[in-house]
Amino acid sequence: MARVELRSLNKVFPGGVEAVKDANLVIEDKEFVVLVGPSGCGKSTTLRMIAGLEEVTSGEIYIDDKMVNDTPPKDRDIAMVFQNYALYPHMTVYKNMAFGLILRKFKKKEIERRVHEAAEILGIMELLDRRPKALSGGQRQRVAVGRAIVRQPKVFLFDEPLSNLDAKLRVQMRAEISKLHHRLQSTMIYVTHDQVEAMTMGDRIVVMLDGVIQQVAAPLELYHNPVNKFVAGFIGSPPMNMVDGLLFAENGGIWFRDDSGAINLAAPEAMWARLNPYVGKRITIGIRPEDMFENESQVLKPGISIQAPVEVVEPMGSEINLYLTVGNQAVTARIKSDREPEVNKPHILDINTANMHFFDIETEKTVV
Amino acid sequence: MRVTLAKSAACLLLCGWFAAVALPLGWVFLNSLRSSQEFVANPFGLPWFLTGSPPDGRLSLEELDAAGARHDAPEIDLPRQLRTQFDLLDADGNGFITEEEARAAGLGEAQWGRSLRLADRPGSRRAAWKEVKANYAKAWVESRFSSFFTNSIIVTGTSLAGILAVGAMASYVLARFTFAGSRALFLFFISGMMIPAQLVLVPLFFQFTWMSQAGTRLLQPFGLELQMHDSLSGLIVIYIALSLPFTILVLTGFFKTLPGELREAGIMDGCGEYRVFWHIMLPLARPGIITAAIFNFIGLWNEYLFALVFVNAADKKTLPLGLASVSMQSQYKTDFGLLFAALVITIAPTLLVYMLLQRRLTRGITVGALKG
Repeated sequence: MARVELRSLNKVFPGGVEAVKDANLVIEDKEFVVLVGPSGCGKSTTLRMIAGLEEVTSGEIYIDDKMVNDTPPKDRDIAMVFQNYALYPHMTVYKNMAFGLILRKFKKKEIERRVHEAAEILGIMELLDRRPKALSGGQRQRVAVGRAIVRQPKVFLFDEPLSNLDAKLRVQMRAEISKLHHRLQSTMIYVTHDQVEAMTMGDRIVVMLDGVIQQVAAPLELYHNPVNKFVAGFIGSPPMNMVDGLLFAENGGIWFRDDSGAINLAAPEAMWARLNPYVGKRITIGIRPEDMFENESQVLKPGISIQAPVEVVEPMGSEINLYLTVGNQAVTARIKSDREPEVNKPHILDINTANMHFFDIETEKTVV
Repeated sequence: MRVTLAKSAACLLLCGWFAAVALPLGWVFLNSLRSSQEFVANPFGLPWFLTGSPPDGRLSLEELDAAGARHDAPEIDLPRQLRTQFDLLDADGNGFITEEEARAAGLGEAQWGRSLRLADRPGSRRAAWKEVKANYAKAWVESRFSSFFTNSIIVTGTSLAGILAVGAMASYVLARFTFAGSRALFLFFISGMMIPAQLVLVPLFFQFTWMSQAGTRLLQPFGLELQMHDSLSGLIVIYIALSLPFTILVLTGFFKTLPGELREAGIMDGCGEYRVFWHIMLPLARPGIITAAIFNFIGLWNEYLFALVFVNAADKKTLPLGLASVSMQSQYKTDFGLLFAALVITIAPTLLVYMLLQRRLTRGITVGALKG
């Protein structure tokens, strides 16, 4: 079992593309860490550098306090699950799983024991004699995971392993990989672009953008206290509503008004101290769709309510997604309601201003 | 409607294609089972050892006379004892019992006359079958096709092994890795296809002379000499060099289609680059390698020009040269039976290899898809 540490890790590809910039990260033993970010953010490159598939431009990678920059992949005691499974098409499932052990000259009996044990865990015992082409996507994914398990490596790496599966299977495999982590109690590093996967699976989440680590935190910490506008917008679905406008003092309080004047909100008193320096300046606010509520009486409450016609209604079952245009601003709301609001009729929503986020419009850093 | 029309048109085309390929092959094979005499009588007839006798009226009286037959001989029944002895009497297996053979067997005048009449009847199946065996025996032994055949096997087999070994390894590296000059190296290999082989014939001949001399000078201290001309190894070197451009073009394209993630999976599993190649990439490239093998085999097995120029000694000749010499020897008196038998000996391995490898080719493509 292992602890992985990245110190000032950089990767510059030939041609000058900086894929990873000064990444510092400590992944504790038995931790499940998810690297998440939009495509091209450097998360896969980081993973591949840990695996040893990409050379490190500068900085160091430590596994169990041993610098592994120049250690070839096979000696790092790491197993990786690939996005496209990368099963060997000419080998049976058994041989696919046993291949790494055969190369490491394990005894035949030990190989058989380990493969059967892994197959048991993954429920693929009856597939051992088949070839990858005769398997469904989900089964292939299990074999790919099994190939990693049998090695009993220090660290598991997953490179978007679920992105080729259909939605239902993805949810199922998500839970299974989480279960596997509890069962195996080993360090796992998981790359995905899907924030739902990141939120549901990770002990800690590393959010990356343009090769820079934005924030490292536990899922709920990330959700409630994003360090900047990007993290706030990336985590959560539907994404957080971002509105630019002016912060100003009036009637002894601090108010926000957007450029069209249609959104007028009062900042909660708890935030005043942090907001004071921004009074009279432009600022960005963020409101999560789930922080908007149906106004039962449909009466405007100053500083809390917004009024806008509903353009699209998406009933999700337990909740309803509303798409509205306030002034010139598209806004998404997620309300709990039994009845669907009428389309194109003005509608009043209340905002839980205590959960509002303020971002510096220039640096995009969180103000409060 | 349109579909069925297109289908039947395709079927018709394929049937035509099949006929164009199969009929000449069948014709060659059938004629290898007939004697020259039969062939002259009717080039498109069936072998007499099957039909038993020539179709009526096909043999002219003169031809029968020439064959020594007594067409006026009355049909007679031979004593059973004599009938079983016929093969024993016919010592040289030509289907006729000559006076000498009869006397050697101690037959009396009366019996000899009667047996002669029986033997003379044209179209004895037994006699025809002996002719057939004689065709192949003559080709294999007298015309030295056993030697040509062995030479062809050695030359083609060794060349093929060399081509595939060098070609597969070079192609994999050229397809998967970029290094300084990799593109130039690829183009250098491929540019070999732009030069007609016939063009390098004469320079190569002189180069071989030079190489033999230089090599021999080098090897002299060890009591060896380098013989590039008139040697199978010289021919093998040429064949490998000439076949590499095409092979590398085909295999590079094939290796490029293989997913690169498999290499990374292999590396994570503990392979070095060589293991990745031997255990993962090479087995996956089997359909491509078999394709290259088939094309190269057919080309090399039938190669004539370079063999003609670089090989003179009779014991070094390959099958195409052997065929040529047979047809040249029989310039004045053509032994068609022998010629066709020689042709069959030459063609058969190609057909065999093609049939065997083709089955494995399709199996290679659909492996996994069908299994399980």
